[in-house]
Amino acid sequence: MTNLTVGVLALQGAFIEHLTLLRRAADDWLRQQQYEPSTATATTTTAPGSSPPGASPSSHASPHTDADRWNADADADADADADAHISTRKPNTDEEPTTITTTNLTHISHFTFLEIRTPPELARCDALILPGGESTSISLIAARTGLLEPLREFVKVARKPVWGTCAGLILLAESANETKATGQELIGGLDVRVQRNYFGRQVESFEAELQLPFLHDAHPFHSVFIRAPVVEKILSPTTASAGGVPSASDDDGTAPAPPTHMQCTKPQVEVLGRLPGRAKSLRDKTTTAEDLGEDGDIIAVRQGNVFGTAFHPELTGDGRIHRWWLGEVVKAKMEELKASQGA
Amino acid sequence: MIRWSTSSSILHIIPESTSNITTTNSPHSQSMSSNSAAFPNRPSAFRSQSSRALSSGNDSSPPSTTKSSASMASSDNQSSFAVKAGLAQMLKGGVIMDVVNVEQARIAEEAGACAVMALERVPADIRAQGGVARMSDPSMIQDIMRAVTIPVMAKARIGHFVECQILQAIGVDYIDESEVLTPADPTNHVDKHQYNTPFVCGCRNLGEALRRISEGAAMIRTKGEAGTGDVVEAVRHMQTVNAEIARASSASDADLRRMARELECDLALLKETAKLKRLPVVNFAAGGIATPADAALMMQMGCDGVFVGSGIFKSGDPAKRAKAIVQATTHYNDPKVLAEVSIGLGEAIVGINCGNMGEGDKLSKRGW
Repeated sequence: MTNLTVGVLALQGAFIEHLTLLRRAADDWLRQQQYEPSTATATTTTAPGSSPPGASPSSHASPHTDADRWNADADADADADADAHISTRKPNTDEEPTTITTTNLTHISHFTFLEIRTPPELARCDALILPGGESTSISLIAARTGLLEPLREFVKVARKPVWGTCAGLILLAESANETKATGQELIGGLDVRVQRNYFGRQVESFEAELQLPFLHDAHPFHSVFIRAPVVEKILSPTTASAGGVPSASDDDGTAPAPPTHMQCTKPQVEVLGRLPGRAKSLRDKTTTAEDLGEDGDIIAVRQGNVFGTAFHPELTGDGRIHRWWLGEVVKAKMEELKASQGA
Repeated sequence: MIRWSTSSSILHIIPESTSNITTTNSPHSQSMSSNSAAFPNRPSAFRSQSSRALSSGNDSSPPSTTKSSASMASSDNQSSFAVKAGLAQMLKGGVIMDVVNVEQARIAEEAGACAVMALERVPADIRAQGGVARMSDPSMIQDIMRAVTIPVMAKARIGHFVECQILQAIGVDYIDESEVLTPADPTNHVDKHQYNTPFVCGCRNLGEALRRISEGAAMIRTKGEAGTGDVVEAVRHMQTVNAEIARASSASDADLRRMARELECDLALLKETAKLKRLPVVNFAAGGIATPADAALMMQMGCDGVFVGSGIFKSGDPAKRAKAIVQATTHYNDPKVLAEVSIGLGEAIVGINCGNMGEGDKLSKRGW
């Protein structure tokens, strides 16, 4: 009987929408546990041998199963001889995946979802969503509420699962372009540079059908992009932790997250989704990224415990990403519990 | 889910099976004050707006065709309602501030405003100076758009669809068809479906709100009485809307039909509102909010965010007051924070007592 507490940062923006979808995802999850325990665990089993421990982390960028990726992160940590949270007691899924995950997953019997406005509220959380909203407002309010440092601690030191959508993605980036004249405080955690309002102003906002391989669902995900950012560049972790944004780009409103000694070696950034073709092409004609010889803009990334999407799953009523992410959170919680029991 | 069509500007509405949001109590609603008793079941999202709000009989359009070359080749794609209403959802829990120049816009952004409203004169000055109030000079609005990274809204006169076309052409993020400016059309509001830029409109009651939504407004604000610094009208309008929604929520189908006639609004929209137990789009409070306590009062009454017009830049210390109102809007349920941010704000807007105001002087009477 373990309770899992998931918070949604409620300083400004579309946090209620996230809470609604989380509740629905939790209901689904618990129902599935109750009636079809085998189905629930089936999705978490790995294809044995598909990613041998110690393989180069970059090889995990291709879509494997969820559990596989999660463990891949743990492997990367173990290789670096860092972070005890994830790596010390990773499940040996290659040998007995079903048994272990079944036992683990049935531990979680209750979910609590909270609106987070203060540090004590944040302290109760096992995982956190940073919703869409105005990233400048959220970051200023967070600073004045004394939440920025606790948030950085949560993301980078405790390394609890965090998901940012749109404004949340901006805040989780180590570097952001096109910020307001005096810059912007970021939380960091993702070694990427995002460009704010990449697609333009509100009249350029749009909807698109996305193929998101990590959902293992052929049905495309209908997504809404509102004055959305994109991941412009994946930074090497060393550059980011050195606070190393080239000084030349400071003039164009690039805000780095503060350089932090909190950071140890982290897993690689995985690209989990791309927009097929730039928005302009999408809106104007049928041209896709493939036609242009482009990969498409990066709109979903993950690096270890941190997940970010440039679009707004909270606006579509489609709970599949919430359902998937909650599954990842449950897995992370189980790892943590096992680690603490083993210690 | 609404899609755009090529041949016309009519929005295609496709009912979506996954769009039914359960209206469970959120902590947000549980924590509201006694004022929320009339508004107990605040839903967490209002997705179903897009499937019903604007029924124009195009439900049969298959989703698969919307990405065809024919539709995507069009250069005059209509932004979907989900995209328009979506920006308003991103503004929730925030403060939108009236600004008249770049300097004020920067102060507002630094204070944590989630958007600014660019206009030539704040309502208090419009009131004092009289004359015809019109859309602002586009160059002033563009300067502000260049100066800040947050969304920029601008006001057009009621019914003045050309001012709206101009504002869309310069790329403002939201158009406020506002009673604060002098109305340009004695009978009609702008047909807001025709625009890619989303609209916010004022209301004093549920009927007015739903009429604006059926005209295409993607966001509503209760009118209050702009430029007075007196919150009483904002409270009155929010109370009226809440009470009418509560009444609709407990009404039978026959009652709803009667109510739709009485409120002069679309029945489908009224049913949607009754089901959601809230307006089907984001609803901010406006008109007379001058202090952090005013902002928190409106939030506790169930609005999604606040507009502050003259209250900030007509006060003694705009930067400090602006910050305080932003903090109060986030922590609206925490009296300790409210006390903290209310300390030492200097002079508030002097204000005009709405009780002593002639009915003819009320801006909120404009629009219908």
